[in-house]
Amino acid sequence: MAPTRKYMKAAGMIAGATCLCLTAAGCSSGGGPASTQTKGVTIKATMAGDPPPKAALDAFTKKTGIKVNWTTVDWDSLQTKISAAATAKTYFADVTDVDWSRVGQLGKLDWFYPMEKYLNTKKMAKDMPQMDSFTLDGHVIGIPEDASFMVTTVNKKLFAKAGIKKMPTTIGDYTKDLKQIKSKGVVKYPLNIPFAAAEGLSTYWYQTTGAFGGTILDGKGRPQFTSPDSAGYKAAQWMISALKNGLVRPGSINVADSEGQQTLMAKGTAATTFSDYSGNVGSLYNIPKSSTVTNQVEYIPTPGATGVAPNLNNPDGVGIPKKAKYPNAAAKFIKWLTSAKKEADFAGANGKDKVQPGYFVPSRLSAMKELTNSGHLDQGKKLSDMLESSTKPVFPQGAPSWYPEFSQAVYTNLHAAATGSKTASAAIKAMSEKAKQLASGS
Amino acid sequence: MGLALIPAAFTIVQSFFTVQPLNPPTRFSGFDNFRRLFSTDAVISSIGNTGLYIVIGVVLSTVLAIFMAVTLQKNFFGRSILIAIMVLPWALPGVVEGIVWANIWNSNTGLLNSLLTSAHLIDNYQVFLGQHRLLTILAIEIVQVWQITPLSTLLIMASLQNIPNDLFEAAELDGSSPWATFRRITLPLIRPGITIAMVQALIQTLNVFDQPYILNGSATAGSSLTMQTYFISFQNLDFGEGYALSLLMAVATMVISLGVLKLVYRPVEF
Amino acid sequence: MRGRTPWLRRIGVLFIVLWSLVPIYWVLNISLQTDAQMSAKPAHYVPPTPSLNNYLSLLTGGGNVPYSIRQSTINIVIECSAATIVTIVLASLAAYSFARMKFRGRNVLFYTVLATMAFPPYITLIPLYRIMTFLGLVNTYTGIVLVYVSGFIPLATWILYNYMLSLPIALEESGQVDGASRMQVLWHVVLPLARPGIVSTAIITFIFGWQQFLFPLVLSSDISTEPLTVVIAALQGKHTVPYTLLSAAGVLAIVVPAVIALALNRYIVSGLLKGSVK
Repeated sequence: MAPTRKYMKAAGMIAGATCLCLTAAGCSSGGGPASTQTKGVTIKATMAGDPPPKAALDAFTKKTGIKVNWTTVDWDSLQTKISAAATAKTYFADVTDVDWSRVGQLGKLDWFYPMEKYLNTKKMAKDMPQMDSFTLDGHVIGIPEDASFMVTTVNKKLFAKAGIKKMPTTIGDYTKDLKQIKSKGVVKYPLNIPFAAAEGLSTYWYQTTGAFGGTILDGKGRPQFTSPDSAGYKAAQWMISALKNGLVRPGSINVADSEGQQTLMAKGTAATTFSDYSGNVGSLYNIPKSSTVTNQVEYIPTPGATGVAPNLNNPDGVGIPKKAKYPNAAAKFIKWLTSAKKEADFAGANGKDKVQPGYFVPSRLSAMKELTNSGHLDQGKKLSDMLESSTKPVFPQGAPSWYPEFSQAVYTNLHAAATGSKTASAAIKAMSEKAKQLASGS
Repeated sequence: MGLALIPAAFTIVQSFFTVQPLNPPTRFSGFDNFRRLFSTDAVISSIGNTGLYIVIGVVLSTVLAIFMAVTLQKNFFGRSILIAIMVLPWALPGVVEGIVWANIWNSNTGLLNSLLTSAHLIDNYQVFLGQHRLLTILAIEIVQVWQITPLSTLLIMASLQNIPNDLFEAAELDGSSPWATFRRITLPLIRPGITIAMVQALIQTLNVFDQPYILNGSATAGSSLTMQTYFISFQNLDFGEGYALSLLMAVATMVISLGVLKLVYRPVEF
Repeated sequence: MRGRTPWLRRIGVLFIVLWSLVPIYWVLNISLQTDAQMSAKPAHYVPPTPSLNNYLSLLTGGGNVPYSIRQSTINIVIECSAATIVTIVLASLAAYSFARMKFRGRNVLFYTVLATMAFPPYITLIPLYRIMTFLGLVNTYTGIVLVYVSGFIPLATWILYNYMLSLPIALEESGQVDGASRMQVLWHVVLPLARPGIVSTAIITFIFGWQQFLFPLVLSSDISTEPLTVVIAALQGKHTVPYTLLSAAGVLAIVVPAVIALALNRYIVSGLLKGSVK
């Protein structure tokens, strides 16, 4: 059939032409090997936050000859991008986010350059207490960029309304105060726990477990929360019974961490968040545009089983992917970005025009102190004291490579217990089974 | 076309291999991936959830689409604007759609709670999402139906426009009631359009991801199979198992599509 | 019949308007409020003090946002238009050959094309990313358009195939008797007849492209190719979600598809009329 053959020929030609285009494009722009060049190059920084002010970046370019192309991607999407690039072994940026929880996984994938190869990380660690959250097998794979850690926030006005003047120092007192606020009718549901099945629920439980005086996993990755008198077990039970006893709003089963802070804490419908983000007082609760509780919320030392408990680290860092085109230039940029001077500038110590939007709590103690002394960080003294003395990594040996899967088991099971589709003990059992299975590598 | 076929072929082959970047090298492992899938509770419960999403989504979107398409069948004043309005839900980006609907279902400040309270139908704000499995899945699936129905409507409209007008005129002359005309003429003759619409809805609902993930997190009571492929592949970095699940989903899609084709499709000639 | 249908149609019209517009109205409503207003209980059904602040900070505010919104709007329009054109050209050829020509392996090929629709998109991401890296097409319009085209062709082919099947074959046959080639028949006879189908397929393809998020997220690496959807998602902070700002961005994102639907609609409608007059 002649017409058919003619058509097929035409189709074949189109297909052939397409292939040709593809190959031509492929030849013209293949990714070359990494270059140690630092002058006259443009590096890509793909980050979860907004860029520093243009003037600052321009000054960096002028000083070093390195141009920076900064791309902002929201945090969740960025993690997907990093996973895709790391598994396809593809270049996508010279500098990008390293989250503490993925240090094990990305470290084992060998996706980030060891930073000690480029920077004096030993010296930096003295000013950056959270460096250990990015250290795996002696290698530093990310430099802490901000100092995020978990901290208890209380709405002092609501506590005072219930007749509570002295802030609780133990978790027993804390629970008693919550009940008092509820029974006095100050607010219906005093405690904010984000029970949505998402990472924020796991983080909340880690912090609560720390407060009860325990750890999640031991050095070999084995669960430490199996027995009913372990801290992790008690912490999970405390959270779930707070919901069952009406201390937490029933709708919280669908509220994620930031949503709870924005819609409950910042609106004064919850009186306290046991595991809140450091910096939220200045960045959220004291901002009249988004909050009705300005100047009411304060950080308090974490109430623990017997006294003050640690604050668990939850920081983001910056690192250089192995497929980076200009790793040396990237290292120079990271050094600049995380310098004490720039961190203080970006967080607002030296005038509004130097601020990097969304950047509140510097990773360097010295920058934090400068910011506090100049009066630019709300309750900065408390935060820098905590950062200096009471912050602690969730996993002292670094997050295991199977952390994401474990964390998912944690939050889906805690969520199931909260909704009542599982008992608390069945949920904890499922969590520990998962940890055992993952730790044994099967 | 190669761009669609190569990944598909890749998926089929790799689903019989252990592909774990954290545990190299890639090696043949027979049906190991499939075995592991069926021993994972989250996967098992997602099969049930996805089944519910499919049934609710396909039925609801098809019924609504037929209703809308028939409404828009004849020319009337404002019809073209109405078609544009009908298409809008489909054009809203996923991230915004999630926020809008979270705002509607929200147990603290949601529109639905607010409306029900204003109408004095409820006294206290209710929790719609997360508490009862069926209610949660229904609420999530309505969001997806809202998004996919415009396409189904367009597909059915395209089919409607092929029906010669004389058929309707003849029916009218015979004194056939609108319902009888719909049953005897419209419905049989738009079967091709309904088939495409249903298969398209099937593919969309079988792959539901954004709506449950944004509205209900990874909670077991609402998570879908696509969410599991995402977690298994991108979170646990177990690509072999992810490919295996995808392969099963693809096979399920084809089998159910063929079923729909057999049940619904009839060639139409005018 | 004329006497009885209008009330049914009125219900239908009312339903379409409410069903489609209430959630959209809700985005618009929230986009004109402040964060404090949107969490009022009961909700404000109309903005108490309507303000364009959210729009202003997206379009003219400080920082990188206005530039990103502008550039990514240009990107998404280019990517969706190119993908639509290429998809329609290839899908018309394919649909025509499936509908009108018998060749060996026709059914196998047809069902293979359809079967590719069945694979969950997430799973093809990594293989596609590798192919695109190999071809050097990451972060290029070409790469994104190619991926869209490969994703949209099956559905477009199927819609057009069904459409062409329903066209009267007599005209084509007379064309062939007159000695026109297949391509000439396709160009002069089939395509004009199939115009309503082609326009609606084009709208469908364009809007599919408009919704894409995951593939462009991974396949673009900076603002030179990122579509609007990716930039909108990036407005979410790490610890806070700016609900009212995102709502305003959503309203902006819906403008182009709405305009296209409104403008091309007349096309579909006129096509419909022509089709029924024949």
